Parts: sequence; C-alpha cells; structure tokens
Amino acid sequence: MTVEQNLEALDQFPVGMRVLAVDDDQTCLKILESLLLTTTNQAQKALELLRENKNKFDLVISDVDMPDMDGFKLLELVGLEMDLPVIMLSAHSDPKYVMKGVTHGACDYLLKPVRIEELKNIWQHVVRSRFDKNRGSNNNGDKRDGSGNEGVGNSDQNNGKEAMPKKILDLMNVEKLTRENVASHLQKFRLYLKRISGVANQQAIMANSELHFMQMNGLDGFHHRPIPVGSGQYHGGAPAMRSFPPNGILGRLNTPSGIGVRSLSSPPAGMFLQNQTDIGKFHHVSSLPLNHSDGGNILQGLPMPLEFDQLQTNNNNSRNMNSNKSIAGTSMAFPSFSTQQNSLISAPNNNVVVLEGHPQATPPGFPGHQINKRLEHWSNAVSSSTHPPPPAHNSNSINHQFDVSPLPHSRPDPLEWNNVSSSYSIPFCDSANTLSSPALDTTNPRAFCRNTDFDSNTNAQPGVFYGPSTDAMALLSSSNPKEGFVVGQQKLQSGGFMVADAGSLDDIVNSTMKQEQSQGDLSGGDLGYGGFSSLRTCI
Amino acid sequence: MLGLGVDRLQADINRLLASLFHQGVLDEQFLQLQQLQDETSPNFVYDVINIYFDESEKLLRNLRLLLMDREFSDYKKIGLHLNQLVGSSSSIGARRVRNVCVAFRSASELSNRPGCLRGLEVVEHEYHYLKNMMHELFQLEQQRILAAGVRYPM
Repeated sequence: MTVEQNLEALDQFPVGMRVLAVDDDQTCLKILESLLLTTTNQAQKALELLRENKNKFDLVISDVDMPDMDGFKLLELVGLEMDLPVIMLSAHSDPKYVMKGVTHGACDYLLKPVRIEELKNIWQHVVRSRFDKNRGSNNNGDKRDGSGNEGVGNSDQNNGKEAMPKKILDLMNVEKLTRENVASHLQKFRLYLKRISGVANQQAIMANSELHFMQMNGLDGFHHRPIPVGSGQYHGGAPAMRSFPPNGILGRLNTPSGIGVRSLSSPPAGMFLQNQTDIGKFHHVSSLPLNHSDGGNILQGLPMPLEFDQLQTNNNNSRNMNSNKSIAGTSMAFPSFSTQQNSLISAPNNNVVVLEGHPQATPPGFPGHQINKRLEHWSNAVSSSTHPPPPAHNSNSINHQFDVSPLPHSRPDPLEWNNVSSSYSIPFCDSANTLSSPALDTTNPRAFCRNTDFDSNTNAQPGVFYGPSTDAMALLSSSNPKEGFVVGQQKLQSGGFMVADAGSLDDIVNSTMKQEQSQGDLSGGDLGYGGFSSLRTCI
Repeated sequence: MLGLGVDRLQADINRLLASLFHQGVLDEQFLQLQQLQDETSPNFVYDVINIYFDESEKLLRNLRLLLMDREFSDYKKIGLHLNQLVGSSSSIGARRVRNVCVAFRSASELSNRPGCLRGLEVVEHEYHYLKNMMHELFQLEQQRILAAGVRYPM
C-alpha cells in the first residue's frame, strides 16, 4: 500500500467504521446494533463473516462468554488472521479476564453495560491504531521487499537482514510515524512471540513489564529484534521479522547513541513498553547502572534471547527491588550480547559502558548510578503499577526473535532508534498520564509516571502499542537525565539527534553526552514525540 | 384539555421513572438507552426491553429447571446463564435485577444449592417487579403519545 492509499483509508475511518459485534445475548446485541453496523450472535458465524469480508470490517467487538466459542479464542483468531482491532466485552470485571483479553491482543476490554461514550472512545483508539498500523506497514512493507510479511503492519522489515534496520531507519527519519508503527509492530510481535512461546518466561516478563522492556532492550540492545510486542494482532506470519524493524531500529539506536539519553521524547517509548520483555530489561538496565550496556539495549527492546531469559529472571527478582543483583544478573545476560548492546544500553551513564561495549563496564563515578537509582525507582514504580505480568510468552517469543535477527547493526542506528522512539512516544503521549512515580527524581519523573501508566496499559492492551511504547520512553526519560540513555535511547530513535552519526564509540559517547544534556531540553517537552511531553505533564 | 392530558401523563411517566431510579430498580444505563432512541429507531427502548424480557424469561426458566433437578450439579452452567443475565440486565439499566443476579452467581460459584435456590427466587421476584414496572411505563408512554397526537388535530 502506498502511503497515499493509507492516508485515504484513514480518512475514511472516521466517517464510517464498520463494526462487527458478536454476542450471544440478544439484548446486548440490539443495543450494540443501534450503535454499530453488523451484528451476529454466534462466534462461528462471526468468524466466517470476517473471513469472507476481510476488508469490510474495521473493528470487531466481541463478548467473552459465548456458548459456541470462547470469546478469547475468537479474539485471537481475528487478531492474528485479520489484523483487525478487537474489543472485548464482558459482564465480568474480573481482572484475570482483562489480562487474558490483553494478552490475547484485545485493543480494549469493556464491561457491560455498554456505554455510548465508551464506544465513541474506542472508535478513536481503533482509528489511531489502524492509522499507525497502516503507516507502519507501509513503511515496513517498502522496506521489506515483500519478505513474506503478511500482516499490514509487519514491522519485521528485517527479514533478518541488517540492511533492513537501516532502511527502516532511513524510513524513520523521513516519517516519524514509522516509529509508532514500529512500536505497534513490536507489540504485535511481542504478542505473537508470546503466543508462540507461551512460556513461563513470558510470565516473568509480564510481571515486570518494565523490566522486560528493559531487558529486551538490554539484551538486544540492538535492535535485533524488535520485540514484537506489537499489537496482538501481530500476525503469526513472520512475526519475528515483522516486528523486528521497529525493535531493530530501536536496538540499534540504543547502542550507538548510547542510549540516547534524551530519548525520552522518543516515541518508541511505547515500543519499549510494548515489549514486555523489554520492559523487564529496561528495568534491569536501570538498576545496573551502566554496566550493562546491554541494559541500554534492553530498552531497545531487542533482548537477546539468552540474555532475555536471564534478564527476565533478573528482572523478576529485581523487579521491585532495584537491587543490583538483578543488574548483575543482567550483566551476565549482557555479556552474552554482543558488545554492541553495551553501547546501546548505557545511554547517558552507560555511555561509557556502551561505548566500550563492555557489558558491564561500570563507569566510575558514573552518572549511571543515578540512573540506576532512577531506574530502580522507575522499575519499582512500574512494577507496582504494572499489571500482572503478561504471560511469559512474550519473553519467549522475544527470544525467538532475537535468534532470528542477529545484530546486524551494532552501531548505530541511533537514528533509527531515535526514530523509532519518537514514533512511539507519540502514541504514548496520548496515553501517558500521570502515573507519577514519586520515586523518580528529576527529569524523568514524568517519564516514570508514564511508564507506570503504561505498564498497566501495556498489559492491558497489547494491541495498543502506544501504551507500551510510551512506557518505554517513560522509563528512559524517567530514570534520569543521564539515564536518559534509556530514554535517550528512545530519543535516539526518535530524535535521532543523538545518534545520527555515532559511527564510532567516540561519537556515541559524545552523542550520549549531548543527549544527556539535551535530555534536559527534551524534557522540556520538545518532544516531537508528544509522548515525551506528556511525561512532563504527568509530573 | 388534551394538552393537560398529555402533561399529566408525562408527569406520571416522570414520576414513575423517578421512583424507579430512586429505588435502584433502574440506573443511568436506562437513560442511555433512551438516548439511543431517535427518529431512525423510534421504538428502540421498547424493542430492546422486550427482547430482554424474552431472553431473560428463557434464562430464568432454564435456571429453575436446572435447580429443580434433584441431581443437579452443573453449577457452571448456572454460572453461564447468570453471566448472560447479568450482562443483559446491566445493559438495559436494570440494576436491582443485576445485583441479585450477581449474588446468585456467587452462590452458584460456591456450589451452594440452597443458596442458589434462594437466589433464584429473589431474582425472579425482582425480575417480575421490573417487568410490571416496565409494562406500566410503556402503557403510560403509549397513552401519552396518543394524547399528544390528539392534541393537534388536523
């Protein structure tokens, strides 16, 4: 699809959204019918309808408990097959169900009775996500060269090649929206992975969404794999690939720019969050002051499979404790990562580390400490705010991802990363609220807040990537200005300023430093990402 | 004169609604339902409520059959039925019915047979009360429409 086409499609969204509502309760259906278009009271029939008319529906609202088919199953199928946003509806307010909905990729979870206003709001989400998805897919699609990406927003441009991320990066540079897509892709990818792996790891990750995120970033640092966290709609198709691009970019950005400290504004924040694994990672990263350059990478959400697991474990442990132990754990994980990761992770603090590529080089007297603290706070805050950890799947899936895409670009994709970040931040902005985590001091307290919100969001809606990305960003930004690396990383993605040309370590370091400085600026809410500024307001 | 009739009827309707709200029989969701009614669907509320009655009566009948069965043990099924009842009741704003259904549901989750029986009775009671009120409301509404129509002859 060309961009123009996407735009056109988008324009039409507000005008007439076609919604398919599925519910076995006639009363509810009638009510929904008055607001929507097509209704059916059987899931099977709905599935058929959807399969036949893939392009005719823009949204599906489905009840959870239905006699002929489990609502969640329908949700999964629809999300995967058709990449349509799905909203769950239920009389149950049990958080378990909500979690389930989220992990299965629901865009939203509503409680009965259905209120008009809520439906109106949903419409916005859907449009937004579709918009982003389209944008992203366009971008990705081009990049990918048709590498078997079926889904629209296949962010895995990487078809496993290093070249991809760069292309993506370039693309990103051009279109900021891409980042959002990346974020969404990440989300999707993540969900996809989750689904595939469906392992305890994921749980661990979920628990610490933030942590994961961190981890992811750290692990991959690079971007290898964009943590597909992306919307649940992530198609089973080349999941890893798809989401890769976004992550990849992020990852890369992180590295080179040393975590673009400033990346707060980077939209990818959402990305980070999306990857629950990332979040976890992120957490670690923060706790580890800088040693883990990977930590920085984590944020990027491209956790290395190995590390990721490790991180996850660490994260889980350290989740609420900013203990350095987790860090250490992470460090271990990191070492496995390539040096590249190192560079990525440590954004401001890690700059040193990152640049050197030592997974654990703790820079003496490094601001990293601060960052760590911040991160810790953040992690804690996030942890607390986070929802129950999404199924460990994600982590597993993410791991898969990593394998898939080796870090092709160790360096610098700061630009890319930044880009990614920025895109994420944007969506994040919307969702960012005040989570305000008191623990964070400085600059990113806001970011922190956001993350917290995000965490909850993240869990809640995998499909909605904006939530997660913002968190990622928040994490970054909140930790510290220095920590900015985390944020900065994002920034890198978004701002790309940092990294843009960090070709050498020196550059990276410099950029990181600059970023740190600029971080402050960024904090100013310049964010192009919008999400970032939201962070500020939160505070 | 006719005008007075309409006004009086309208006042009666309002009073009835107010009292139902006050008692907690209905809640704001019902108002939302009314909002959905417009020229394109003039009898929306009436239709929805009728559908609700049909469905609910079926559910209640099933529930009673299940519980009356001596060897009854399928609480899960009861739970499912109740879920639907809870959902639809809350969708039309029947708060009291919904609340007692929730209570009934917890009894069923505990596999508490006597508790379920009692719950069922309470639900049936509330449901019938609501039904009667709704009927009355519709009757008043119809009269009002008629009166309003007559108000402007020609």
